[in-house]
Amino acid sequence: MEAYPIGSLNPGRGDEDMVEFNVLGFLIDWSTFFAIYAILAISLNLEIGYTGMANFGKVAFYAIGAYLSAVLTIVTFLTIFGVSAPLYSVDAVIALGKHGAELPWLNIGLFILSIILSAIVTGVVGYLVTYPTLRVGPAFLGITILSFGEMLRFFLRNYEPLGSTYGLFGVPHPFQWVPDPTVRTGIYALIVLGIMFGVYLYAERLVNSPFGRVLRAIKDDEVAALCLGKHVPRIKATVLFIGSAIAGVAGALYLFYLGSVNPDMFIPRVTFDIWAMVILGGMGNNKGAIAGAAIITFVDRALTFITPSLGLTAYITPDYIRWMTVGLLIVLVLLFKPGGLIPEKPIKTPALEVANKIEEG
Amino acid sequence: MPELLETVDVAKYFGGVRALDGVSIKVKEGSVIGLIGPNGSGKTTLFNVITGFYVPERGEVWFNNEQIDGLNPNEVYLKGLVRTFQIPRLFPSLTVLENVIITPPYQIGERVLDAPFKKRWEKQEIDLAKKAVELLRRFGMGKYIKSKISELSAAHIKMLETIRGLLASPKILLLDEPAAGVAYTTAKELFEYILRLRSEQGLTFLIIEHRLEVLMDYVDYVYVLHNGRLLSEGKPEEVVQDPKVIEAYLGG
Amino acid sequence: MVGVTEVYNTLWIGLIFMVLGLPLTLSYRTTGIINFVHINFITIGAYVGVLLSLLGVKNIFMVALVAFIVGAAIAVFDNIAVFKPLSRRGANVVILMVASLGLWIFYKYFLYAIVDLIGKAVKENLVSVILELDILPTINLGGIVVDGKFLTTLTLAVIVVLFYYLVLTKTSIGKAIRAVSDNSQLAEISGIPRDHVVNFMWAMTGGAAAIGGLLWGIFAIVTPEVGDWLILEIFAVAVIGGLSSLLNTAIGAFIIAGAENIVMAALHETFGLPLSFRPFITFLVLVIVILVKPPLGAGGGLPYRFFKPRKR
Repeated sequence: MEAYPIGSLNPGRGDEDMVEFNVLGFLIDWSTFFAIYAILAISLNLEIGYTGMANFGKVAFYAIGAYLSAVLTIVTFLTIFGVSAPLYSVDAVIALGKHGAELPWLNIGLFILSIILSAIVTGVVGYLVTYPTLRVGPAFLGITILSFGEMLRFFLRNYEPLGSTYGLFGVPHPFQWVPDPTVRTGIYALIVLGIMFGVYLYAERLVNSPFGRVLRAIKDDEVAALCLGKHVPRIKATVLFIGSAIAGVAGALYLFYLGSVNPDMFIPRVTFDIWAMVILGGMGNNKGAIAGAAIITFVDRALTFITPSLGLTAYITPDYIRWMTVGLLIVLVLLFKPGGLIPEKPIKTPALEVANKIEEG
Repeated sequence: MPELLETVDVAKYFGGVRALDGVSIKVKEGSVIGLIGPNGSGKTTLFNVITGFYVPERGEVWFNNEQIDGLNPNEVYLKGLVRTFQIPRLFPSLTVLENVIITPPYQIGERVLDAPFKKRWEKQEIDLAKKAVELLRRFGMGKYIKSKISELSAAHIKMLETIRGLLASPKILLLDEPAAGVAYTTAKELFEYILRLRSEQGLTFLIIEHRLEVLMDYVDYVYVLHNGRLLSEGKPEEVVQDPKVIEAYLGG
Repeated sequence: MVGVTEVYNTLWIGLIFMVLGLPLTLSYRTTGIINFVHINFITIGAYVGVLLSLLGVKNIFMVALVAFIVGAAIAVFDNIAVFKPLSRRGANVVILMVASLGLWIFYKYFLYAIVDLIGKAVKENLVSVILELDILPTINLGGIVVDGKFLTTLTLAVIVVLFYYLVLTKTSIGKAIRAVSDNSQLAEISGIPRDHVVNFMWAMTGGAAAIGGLLWGIFAIVTPEVGDWLILEIFAVAVIGGLSSLLNTAIGAFIIAGAENIVMAALHETFGLPLSFRPFITFLVLVIVILVKPPLGAGGGLPYRFFKPRKR
């Protein structure tokens, strides 16, 4: 087993940022991570909180978004600058480093294109992977997607054109051409936060509608919803399309933040973190998902800085404690505060206003 | 009058058990038909075959001159057949109003691409809400519009399940033991409503009941199931006299 | 050519999958939960072997008994502490499954931590162990050599299956378990409180899965991830069994074992498919089974058909 350093929200990445504590750096780093994870948590919440579908393989769609964006960006750069080398080769990384800041619009264009393509492709994959399992009962969906994610990771580890276990490196940052790294990452953090806010607004509007009402009905009793003429399998697959597409966007954002991908960033534990966020924050509430993401990413990032000074590492790997806590957190919240920090609220549609008016008048 | 719903020689087996073994019933438009029989006689299985839960091993189901066996439950619903369950299946995380307003099919706001744009579906939603409120008031549930399902009494839950499908303007209601667990007087009230709906809106009913005596005064025609076969059929007063029926109830 | 080795491995692994798959089917049938802690039962079963052999207890039957008790204890504890309170509050299967996911993560890293600590204390690598227990001797049946490891697996597998068979068909609590899985109202009639029945069922589940983990530990290397590696196979086994039939689960065990050994070897020789692609075959079998013969009826299925039945 590969023992990752703590800060496992970011597995597979070295701890280069542990050199010294820098408040602004920490804030930028944390808010980027928070926003990416909040996007993932909102997408999972749409599936589990509103529709009652247990997606234990969220990470697979996150991975597809990241890999797709990496391949798209690297291939385009290599083609434009006439470098013929495998995507993962040292030559390619050197060329990317050399030309990465030359054409600002290329960087930005690829960033936008990656996000759009990631959303579409992961959405379609999500739809196709889950459609067969949708009628077989809740347990199957979870296990099938979990296995799918592991198969995908396994495939990536063994597929040389995508760099096998080493993955792909040197993807130019969308703002590579901004010389000051703090400004660069700062702008990026703001953009990711903005996208998070957009995703939040979209999710809120989607669920506070007759469509959202059907989703709640499916969560309560899918058989009864089917008997009321709702095409339950198609609706569930649609939700998985949306949820996966959003996760794909998060994957693209993650890639451009780090500039590299490798298969072991996408271990099932990433999914479990997202689950912990949604359960802690409150299933069936988008604000809760964001709150959960904020808390867990903050604790995780903070631990990255704090733990080495505690002197515990000689006895017990901090990673184990972190994960035992995540597991326990899921169980304890479900047992003692099933609604999470911000419990589910009734959906808001005009029907409610009509009822209110009638009650008053 | 034409037959609205008809099953022809329907059979359904579970492993070696013959839950239904060649059942043919006819339901005329505008009639109230009873389906009775002891526990395990195949009443609910027949409902499940009609509403698309199961595909029959043998036989056909016709509705409105269309063969509907093999259709999925959602497709059957869209044809105009609304069913209820023995144990009511309402949606506990929705309010009473929402449990009603969800029943009409093809709502604009239920389409995923239109849902985020309130303008596109707001008007339809308000119209439906008004109709739903009216419906609830008509059945004496005006007070509970905003209640959660968990706050309702058992009788109101039964009632809500029975009436909520009316908003979707169905052709036939299939009711699975609407009076089970409901006080005798409430059951009477419910059946009075059913008769009223029949005369007001020309609705058709197929009603499963375990207890014969509850149904007697309200149905036009009764089918008696026993061990997956039709034991007897006829006007209620004839069926009660049938020695086979008496034996099935007392001996079974 | 697919040789004797593949057939032999199919038999061997099939036996282990059977011991692991039967309890998953039993618990799913009774509770409707796909229990992620099943993974921990497997790993913990294997580590009971490791830790007992450190203490000098090496008799395989002794070790199996302890593994059974430990697995059973964890399973019953989970039920009392987590599943029962949750279902009493009306939580649905999905929530129970998510809770089991949390438990899985917790136990997994708890085991890691313990193995780490003990490993440091005894100055041995316990993260990747070859089990050395006193198993049955290798025998020679008229020229056919039967490996002692295989013989041990066979013996313990037969004991577990017999135990399941006898308990479920001959005892009143076994009949009550079956009644609970078929219809919970009927179960009350048998006179045994439902809680006891479910606890007993969990004990049978956790215990047998732990023995299965121990058997896997005899076959392969023990690491804190053994259960994670096996869960896809075990799940596929149970799905082939329709998650309801114990007999079909046993058959499923040998189908998956055969697919991973015989079919894999054939594909390797014919198309040069790397042997490491084994899990893909299992995943493919799983998806095909879900598409072609979905375990409907085994709790929570949707009465929906993708394909119209043929018009008669």
